[in-house]
Amino acid sequence: MGLLDTEFGKRRLLSVEVPAIEKYNEGRDAAFKVALARVGGTLLLTYLLKPCHNPYRLETRLLSSYPTVPPETRVLTPLKHCPHLLEGQTICLWRQGSMRASSRWDPAKFTCIFAIQAAWRWLACYEIWHETGEWPLPEAK
Amino acid sequence: MDFRPLAEVERRTLTTALRNNADRGLALLMDRLDTSFAGTAEDVPEVEVINAVKSVPSHY
Repeated sequence: MGLLDTEFGKRRLLSVEVPAIEKYNEGRDAAFKVALARVGGTLLLTYLLKPCHNPYRLETRLLSSYPTVPPETRVLTPLKHCPHLLEGQTICLWRQGSMRASSRWDPAKFTCIFAIQAAWRWLACYEIWHETGEWPLPEAK
Repeated sequence: MDFRPLAEVERRTLTTALRNNADRGLALLMDRLDTSFAGTAEDVPEVEVINAVKSVPSHY
């Protein structure tokens, strides 16, 4: 399914994803609003998160196979190498094939805003790891 | 970026909040303006769900 080139994808985009982004942006400081752009067959969300004292610039990509395939999020602000951080500062959020609902991306339930919220929680964990050297949450199975 | 570390009290508060989020399903609240941590809550009004990190699926 293509998010941008099929009727189902376009409907999902216009009736689910765009309204969710608009709701997220409501009342938010301009610097922290999500910006949406099309890059080829991909939708790119760029935004700023500041769970604690430090602001982080991020981008979340909705590939043409989204929402079947979960969004990919990477942190553009330089980070120290840490757990759950993949190449290119892509953050590791969802375990493919996990049997636990709490570890899986569910395209029927989640929107791109969930990716932003998951990234926020990841950054909160990173801030603690930065000080203690320990990731504050156990890894799910 | 000059990294500004958490004060010890802030770190303890955030660690507890993250663990309560993972273990008990408490929502982590994001400030509407700048997304900074704004505490936890058991119940979140519908209008604030967009600023509440509750049932985020993730493997860590």
